[in-house]
Amino acid sequence: MWWVTDTDDANGAVTDDAGAAETDAAGAERRPTVVVPVEPSPTLRATVAHVVEAAVDGEFSVVHFVEIASWRDGDPGSGDRTAEARRVLERVVAWAEADLDDADGDTGDGVTVVSTLIGADEYLFGPDDYVDVIAEYAEDQGADTVVLDPEYTPVGNTALLQPLEFALSNTPLAVRTAPVGRPTRRERLRSEATGVRFAAMFGLSLAFYFVLGDPLYWFDWVTGVATAVIVSITLSQISFDADPGVPRTPQRLVRGAIYVPVLLYEIVVANLVVARVILDPRLPIDPTLNRVRVIVGSGLPLMTLANSITLTPGTLTVRARDSNLYVHSLVPWAREGLFDGSLERWTRFVYYGRSAARLPTPREREDYAVLQGPDATEELPIAAADGGATPGDETGAPPDEAAATADGDETNAGDEGVTDE
Amino acid sequence: MDAVGTLRVWLIVAFTLLGLFFSLVSMTGVLRLPDVYSRAHTASQADTLGAGFGLAAVALAIGLEGAGFKTVLLLFFIFVTNPTAAHAISRAAFEEGIVPWTEGDDRR
Repeated sequence: MWWVTDTDDANGAVTDDAGAAETDAAGAERRPTVVVPVEPSPTLRATVAHVVEAAVDGEFSVVHFVEIASWRDGDPGSGDRTAEARRVLERVVAWAEADLDDADGDTGDGVTVVSTLIGADEYLFGPDDYVDVIAEYAEDQGADTVVLDPEYTPVGNTALLQPLEFALSNTPLAVRTAPVGRPTRRERLRSEATGVRFAAMFGLSLAFYFVLGDPLYWFDWVTGVATAVIVSITLSQISFDADPGVPRTPQRLVRGAIYVPVLLYEIVVANLVVARVILDPRLPIDPTLNRVRVIVGSGLPLMTLANSITLTPGTLTVRARDSNLYVHSLVPWAREGLFDGSLERWTRFVYYGRSAARLPTPREREDYAVLQGPDATEELPIAAADGGATPGDETGAPPDEAAATADGDETNAGDEGVTDE
Repeated sequence: MDAVGTLRVWLIVAFTLLGLFFSLVSMTGVLRLPDVYSRAHTASQADTLGAGFGLAAVALAIGLEGAGFKTVLLLFFIFVTNPTAAHAISRAAFEEGIVPWTEGDDRR
């Protein structure tokens, strides 16, 4: 007998009755449990087969396949991505069922397969965030082992496996990578090659070529097409981490065009303030380093926000560590402006639309800290700069509170399917 | 010279002077400010508004021709690359373990 449980609970608690009854029945004896993070990858099928084989051999009796959401519930499009993730989980469970059937006999009995979507209540950035989510889930489920798919890259555009393995080795969990072949070995920073990305890159570079050249001259067409092909081959996998789509991409461009004058105005105002400070004979500066936790997606939105902050004189993004930006401010005025988060709201407007831009300021969320001077609320993470300290120490209490608030808002679909075969 | 032409000339002069002013402020800042982080703030000023107003003046002087469009593109690329460079410099300083200067620090 084995069970397939499916739950959407963000905390990962398996709440269905049959599974709970079985766990209780197993009672005193501790059931070896394994957590397997999954994501569509070329080696996912082989990883599932490996884990099931190990389970049949008696190594594990409960297998949790978890998909970790890189998005956040309530984002535009999160419904589609959730549905997509659930399809992946269904497929994984179907594979596991098939493998268990193949291995049937006495050995396949008693293996429970569980699939869950976790982490949709917050944005996850780097390996540390993923490890936190995995470790928390593993603890809730009493799991002591994590098996990684060698091609597991949840962020989509960066190789996360090695840092993930490293960060997991700091937890009590036993970690290993499934010994399955890698059909492709992609380079860092490369994302999938698709026709849409290639076409978009080609169109963009050709258009740029003709702004510089003459679209009515045949020779410029020959050189332009050749150049655009070379650019698209080399850069289309790096420049895009998602396919440009209608209406998303045009919408973002229009909203970006609205944002540019706003940003220019901010730059001029900040320039005048900083110019006044610099030309003042007393030089009334009060520079500090600050931390602010921003709620924008990783990749392009985070880059836009960090660059907007740097473009505005008086604030300078020194470090972007996961969702935390370390920002140096020259005068208190610039620091206060940063904590008021107007650029963060504008970035959310550009990428996610007007409704997504309504969110509390970092000050209201208490997602900020001054790291230097008499008002300092946190220690300067200079030792952490070279990767010395654990990031958990840096985040401190305020982000936890923010996470607690987010937990309260989230909507759990909570539909559980049980198949008993 | 007609009224529009006169206005254009004065705008060109005003933009050039503004560009010069912000470049001057930026230079003063680099000389006066205490450490690499605070200097990075003001060094990027020369790029954004110094070069910004300068190129705006050039675009106005050239008018609606090919070279004018190229000036606008130049402006765009400066605005994209400048914060990236400033971030790279300050991040490198941070990873070297340089503590930002604060009020009361002896280093100047």
